[in-house]
Amino acid sequence: MTDALTISNLSFAYPGQDPVIEKINCTIKTGEKVGLVGPNGAGKTTLFLLITGIIKPSSGQILVLDQPVKPGAFYPSVGMIFQHTADQLISPSVREDLAFGPHNMGLDKEEIQVRIEETAELTGITALLDRPPHHLSAGEQRLVALSGILAMGPRLLIMDEPTSDLDIRYRRRLIKLLGNMSDKTLLVASHDLEFVIETCSRVLLLEGGRIQADGDPTEVMGNETLMDKHGLEVPHSLSATWHRHKK
Amino acid sequence: MIAEAALSTAVAGSLLSRWEARLKLPGLLILIFSFAIVQDLRLLAPLIITAALVYYLSGLPLSYLFSRLKLPGFFLLAIAIILPFWSGQSVLWQLGPLALRLEGLLGLLLIATKFIGILTVAVALFATTPLAQVTVALRSLGIPWLLTDLLLFTYRYIFQLARDLQRMRTAARLRGFVGGSLFSLKTLAHITGSMLVRSHAQAERVFQAMALRGYGNTSLPLPAFQPVLLDFLLLSIAVLLATGFVLGQYIF
Amino acid sequence: MHIPDGIIPASVAVSGYAATGGLTWLSLLGIKKQFTNPRNGIPKAALLTAAFFAASLIHIPIPPVSVHLVLSGLMGVMLGWFAFPAILVGLLLQAVMFQHGGLTTLGINACLMGLPALVAASIFRLRYLFGKEKPLPNAILAFIAAFLAVAMGALMAALLLIYAIPVYIDISAERTAVLALSLAHLPIALIEGVFTAMVVLFLLKVQPALLESEKL
Repeated sequence: MTDALTISNLSFAYPGQDPVIEKINCTIKTGEKVGLVGPNGAGKTTLFLLITGIIKPSSGQILVLDQPVKPGAFYPSVGMIFQHTADQLISPSVREDLAFGPHNMGLDKEEIQVRIEETAELTGITALLDRPPHHLSAGEQRLVALSGILAMGPRLLIMDEPTSDLDIRYRRRLIKLLGNMSDKTLLVASHDLEFVIETCSRVLLLEGGRIQADGDPTEVMGNETLMDKHGLEVPHSLSATWHRHKK
Repeated sequence: MIAEAALSTAVAGSLLSRWEARLKLPGLLILIFSFAIVQDLRLLAPLIITAALVYYLSGLPLSYLFSRLKLPGFFLLAIAIILPFWSGQSVLWQLGPLALRLEGLLGLLLIATKFIGILTVAVALFATTPLAQVTVALRSLGIPWLLTDLLLFTYRYIFQLARDLQRMRTAARLRGFVGGSLFSLKTLAHITGSMLVRSHAQAERVFQAMALRGYGNTSLPLPAFQPVLLDFLLLSIAVLLATGFVLGQYIF
Repeated sequence: MHIPDGIIPASVAVSGYAATGGLTWLSLLGIKKQFTNPRNGIPKAALLTAAFFAASLIHIPIPPVSVHLVLSGLMGVMLGWFAFPAILVGLLLQAVMFQHGGLTTLGINACLMGLPALVAASIFRLRYLFGKEKPLPNAILAFIAAFLAVAMGALMAALLLIYAIPVYIDISAERTAVLALSLAHLPIALIEGVFTAMVVLFLLKVQPALLESEKL
């Protein structure tokens, strides 16, 4: 089984500025669901841009599915969902938007149709297929953006703050959806720590461009000293446990 | 109207940035137009010296000017290649089929000097005048408020648009977007359309928020006009120089 | 099609400003007729002007070259009378921020791009005769409008350069060069025609109200 993601000695800095990412080493196995937590400015989004090949590292190497990442190349096996959903929705109908990725992959018309139907079925947006994505609710848009990526059949899914604009219903729907994707590797950055607890089996704490902690979500995020030190708070569900144990 | 903070400190306190915009704008524009009138080669030296003087008074570094001249410089390059070899009869120097002609060379000199002179003064003018002041100056010169409001809003949106567009392009690239086909033209059209749709909603909201805070009250007067002697002095000098160029061109 | 500073005679530049003044005045009249409060047209106009501004910076690779869109046709189609002041503002910003175009030639450039935009606007308005929701007439009229806008602009610029350039330049060589340049705009005109039609079709499906430049 290949590793989904291997990062070795990765560093990145904008020219003439302090490093945003400093000597990160990390391996994520296929099928793992990993949460990335950290305060604003920790470097989470930058890390994602490096993994997807949008920006070039200052030093170090990134292997995705055992292949070195070439900046600027097209990797349908890696799917990234942006924080601002509107950035990803371009077509006049949901159906066309879902078709965009598969079309660029060179798939033929029938295959594209099949993918659209299957993905829409999976994410539950079949009823929205013929509507323009721009006027949908935030939750619907999030699911459309996710579907657009899933239609490409990615094996590694990267998500940047996926629950930031979702109401309770859509948040629950997303959690359920991600829970059903056992074959995919997931790397999700989120301030929604409860979401991370429910979705991920492993957590990386990124702060100041370095990985400050790596391990079980309950252990890492339940550690009050650790969380405080790096600009975070222990999520309520864990502190309740902790209080119960204390009593 | 420059975005770089470092340059703002360079110009702060310079003579040009202290010149009241409502007098600076017409003064320097008149000067620029007088440059445009020049056809006599003997006026080229005074032209470039005047431009250099204006730039010196702006406090801006020379490197900034060079960076501003880079892009439009390509146009000059094109002219430089064409004019001296195609224009005119008096051949100065011949190398096979290529003939360097006097008239063309002089034509190039004229165009290049005027171009650089005008741009230099323009750069100095706008780098020392914040957009808010430019707008006030334009209004005081009689430009309708609809145009100046449009100017302000548009300026704001350019940066927003650039950021949003950049992210959309990145997202499209991640889904395999590549240029060079009819499909990619369609994608570009869709991205443009999407940008218009989402930005419009936001623009309306910003506009309404501003209206709620009193924007739209055209009876509001412009900020008080408090010129000092220096402002009039500089204006006079600019007008004098401009007149000099005009007279020099048409009389001498 | 942006004419830079320094090459055309000052008399032409001044005439350009006079013409622009007149067209601006005309446009403002038209705007006052179309809007109950002209200020309401500013957000949309500002957006499109920002797009017009940005268009010259975005290069579309059409192998073997790479071109940039002018978007005067789209401005006309979407803004109606507002297109002229919008283009004027866009050109001013381009000249000041990127030294693209010119300050003395601002008036001339505004006419070269703004007038065709207004023509495009009136062509596109014919869609009301055919049913404003129908995709085909919208697409065809948008194509024609944008194509003509670019073609007209290029032709006008070419004629201007031919007749206004100082005498010492070899007339025939210069004319050939200028005509060649204007012919080079033909593919751009075609591309913009198609592009504008595509944007219009998009908006027709997603937000048709944006295509209205009528009473708001």
